[in-house]
Amino acid sequence: MKLLKIENNNGFFRLEDGNFKEIDALDKEGLLSLVNWTFDEDEIEYDEFNDSILKNQAHQIIYKSIYNKLRDLRNRRKEYLDETAQLYLADYTKYRDSPRQ
Amino acid sequence: MKKIDLHIHTIPTISDSHFIFSIDTFKNYVREAKLDAVAITNHDIFDITQYKIIQSELPIVVFPGIEINVDKGHLLLITNPERVDSFDSRTSKVSQRITKIGDNISYEELVEIFGNLDEYLIIPHYEKSPAITGNTLEKLTRFVTVGEVDSPKKFIRSIKDTEKLTPVLFSDSRMKENLINFPTRQTFVDCGNLSIEALKSSLGDKAKVALSADEGNKLFQLFEDGQKLSTGLNVLLGARSSGKTHTLNKINESEENVKYIKQFALVQQSEEQEFKGTLEKKRSVFTENYLSGLKRVIDQIINIDIEANEQLVDNYVTTLLKAAEDFNRSDVFSKVKLFDEIEFTIGNLQSLKSLIESIRQVIENKEYHNIVTKHLEINSLIALIMELISLLRANHLEIEKKKVVNSLIRDIKSGLRIRTSAVQVEDVDLYRISLDYKAVKKFEKIVEFLKIDSTILKETIQGFTIEAQKRKFAGAGEIKSVSGLKTAFSAVYQLYDQPYQYLRELLKNDYIPRSDLYKFFVKIDYKILNRDGFEVSGGERSEFRLLQEINDSQNYDILLIDEPESSFDNIFLRSDVNQILKDISKSMPVVIVTHNSTVGGSVGADYVLYTKKEIIGGKITYRIYSGYPTDKKLHSIDGSEINNYEVIMNSLEAGISAYEKRRISYEATKN
Repeated sequence: MKLLKIENNNGFFRLEDGNFKEIDALDKEGLLSLVNWTFDEDEIEYDEFNDSILKNQAHQIIYKSIYNKLRDLRNRRKEYLDETAQLYLADYTKYRDSPRQ
Repeated sequence: MKKIDLHIHTIPTISDSHFIFSIDTFKNYVREAKLDAVAITNHDIFDITQYKIIQSELPIVVFPGIEINVDKGHLLLITNPERVDSFDSRTSKVSQRITKIGDNISYEELVEIFGNLDEYLIIPHYEKSPAITGNTLEKLTRFVTVGEVDSPKKFIRSIKDTEKLTPVLFSDSRMKENLINFPTRQTFVDCGNLSIEALKSSLGDKAKVALSADEGNKLFQLFEDGQKLSTGLNVLLGARSSGKTHTLNKINESEENVKYIKQFALVQQSEEQEFKGTLEKKRSVFTENYLSGLKRVIDQIINIDIEANEQLVDNYVTTLLKAAEDFNRSDVFSKVKLFDEIEFTIGNLQSLKSLIESIRQVIENKEYHNIVTKHLEINSLIALIMELISLLRANHLEIEKKKVVNSLIRDIKSGLRIRTSAVQVEDVDLYRISLDYKAVKKFEKIVEFLKIDSTILKETIQGFTIEAQKRKFAGAGEIKSVSGLKTAFSAVYQLYDQPYQYLRELLKNDYIPRSDLYKFFVKIDYKILNRDGFEVSGGERSEFRLLQEINDSQNYDILLIDEPESSFDNIFLRSDVNQILKDISKSMPVVIVTHNSTVGGSVGADYVLYTKKEIIGGKITYRIYSGYPTDKKLHSIDGSEINNYEVIMNSLEAGISAYEKRRISYEATKN
C-alpha cells in the first residue's frame, strides 16, 4: 500500500478511500490514518523524499517531515506490535474467557 | 491426679495492668480450686522475699518460676523450691536485660543465664499468644515436652494430634485484692510426688494429662463451683425461666473467644434487601478480586487523554503546513538545519529486559533443572543471555546518548525561535499517541467483555448455592447506589456504552475516589439458591444464615447456641443442623439450649445439663444437674440428684403423659 507519493513535482498522501490528495491539505485525521497504516499494514511504500523531483518548496517541507516520521515509526513496528500485544494481556484474556450464559 | 496451676502472677510489671497482690486471695483460690501445686511466674522478675512468704502461707507445693520474653514469645521457666537461691541470682540477670516493653532475650542468652536448661521445667506459650514459634521453638525442642494453651478446645486438639506438644491449661491470673471469680483453667497430671523431675516425666506422656480428675478429657471444669462441661456436645435443658439463658450468659462471660448464637438472632433481619446487602459485604473480597484486573487497567487509562493527544497532532500538522506556506520568510535562523529538526524517539527496553529475565529463570531454576537440561544446553543459554545483556547495555547507552542530543535540540530550537518570525514545527510523538489509542481500544474491549451477562462464581455451602452474576448496569440509579453519592448520574449514564468517554466523565466528578472507578462499569449481583436451584425463601434465608453462623464458629474456642429450633422446621434441624453441630463438637465444646426433641433427643449429646429453679426456705435457687445421657440420675455439685428420664420427658416432650398420648395418637394415624 502506497502512503506517500510524488507526482508532477508535488507531494500527495493517501486518503481513507484510497484516493490521494495534495500534501498541503493534510489534517490531523489524515495523519493519524497514515500512522495506523504504517503500523497495521504488512506492506507499505512511500516515494522517497527527493528535493530535485519534488519542486514545490512548501510540499518539500511537509513531505520531508512526514516521510521521516513515518519511516521512523515503520522501523519501530516490531517493538510496537510486541508492546500492543502485551497491553493488559492477562486481564484481557481473563475477562474474554469468563464463562458465558 | 494432681491439680496444678503453674502460671500465676503476684507482682505487677510493665507487661501487666496495675494490681495489688493479696495473699488472702491466693489462699482462697488454692482452697476453692483444690490445687495441689502452683508456680509463681511473674513477667521477667522473681522476688525471693515474696516467694518465701507465699510458700510459708500456702499449704501446697509452691514452685519458684518466671515468665520470660524470649524473642517474640513468652515462656515459663520453673524450678524446684530447694534451688530457689541460685534461681534468684539467675533471674536477676533477666530483670537487668528486660526493662522496658519490647525488650526480650534470645535463646542463646537464655542458655547463658540459666545454664543447663534440662534442670528446669520449660513451658513455652504454644497455642496461646504471644507464642514461641519458628527457630526459637526448634532450638528449645530438646528441653520442651509441654506447651501452654489457652482454651479446652486447643487442649483437646493438642492431645489428639500426635505431632503436637502435650498441652497444659493454666489460669495466667493475677492474685489481686477483691478477686471475686476464681479462674477455672487448671490441668490435672497423673504423677506421684510433686517435683520438677516427676512433673516433667508425667507431662511427657499425653495419657497422664487431663482437663478433669475422673473424666479425663471428656469433661472440663466450667464454673468455679466445680460444675463441668463436656469437651464435646452438651445439651442444656430446663423449663422456661429456669436459668438456661442465664447459664449461657455466664459461660459467655467466663470463657474467652466464645461464639454465641442468641435466640432469634437469625430471624430478626429477614428483609430480602438487607440479607443481600450482608451477603454482598461478606463477598466484597471476591468482587474486588474479580475486578482487580479492570482496576489495574483503569489506573493506566485515566492517564491517557485522547483529546489532548489529538490536539498535539493538530498542532504538528498546523505548524507544519504554516511553515511550508511561509517558506519564503525563512531567514538565517530558520534556515539552520536544527530549526525544524525532530527529536530522536526513545525506544523501550522493557521487552528486552523481560526476555533476559525469562532466560535467567530458565538457567537458575532448580525444580525443573533436569527437564531444562534434557532439551537445552545450559552453556548455550548462558551464551544467549550474555549476548542479550550486551545488546541491552549497548541499547541503553544509545538511549542515553539520544536523550542528551534531544535535550540539545530542544535548547537550540528554542534559542532560534525567539530570533525569527518563521513558524517552527511543533513536534509530536506519534508512536506514543498511537499506542495510547490502542490501549483505549483494548480497554473498551475489556469493558465490553465484562458487560456480558454471566455467572462468575458458584459456591456450594451445605446444600445452598451462592451465585455471583455480572451484568450491565440497568440505569443511572444503580450507578448512583454503587457510588454512595447524592449527585445525579443520568448525564454520565448517557455515555455508559462508550467506556472511555464514560470514564472521562466520571473523572470529572471530584467526589468519586479514583480507586473506586472500577466499580462503575459492571454490576455484580449475588444470590443464594436452594437445593432445587430456586432463589431462597424467607425461611431458607434464616436456615442459610444459621449454617453460616455455625460454620463460622470453627474460629472460636466454644460455641453456645440458644434454641436453634426457634425458627426452623424439624426436618432441617435433623438433617442439617444436628449433623453440623455433632461434627463441630468433635473439635470444640458446644452447648445447645433446646426444648425441641429433634435437637435434644436426636443430636447425640455427650453430656446433659438441666437447670432448675428451686425454692428452698423461701429463697430462689438456680441449680444445675448434669450427667451423661445414659445416666439414670443427673447430679448437682452440692450432691442433689434428679431422674434423667423425667428431665428429658419434661423438657423435650411436654411430660410423660403428653408423650404417651402423642405416641398413641401417632400409632392410630399410622394404622
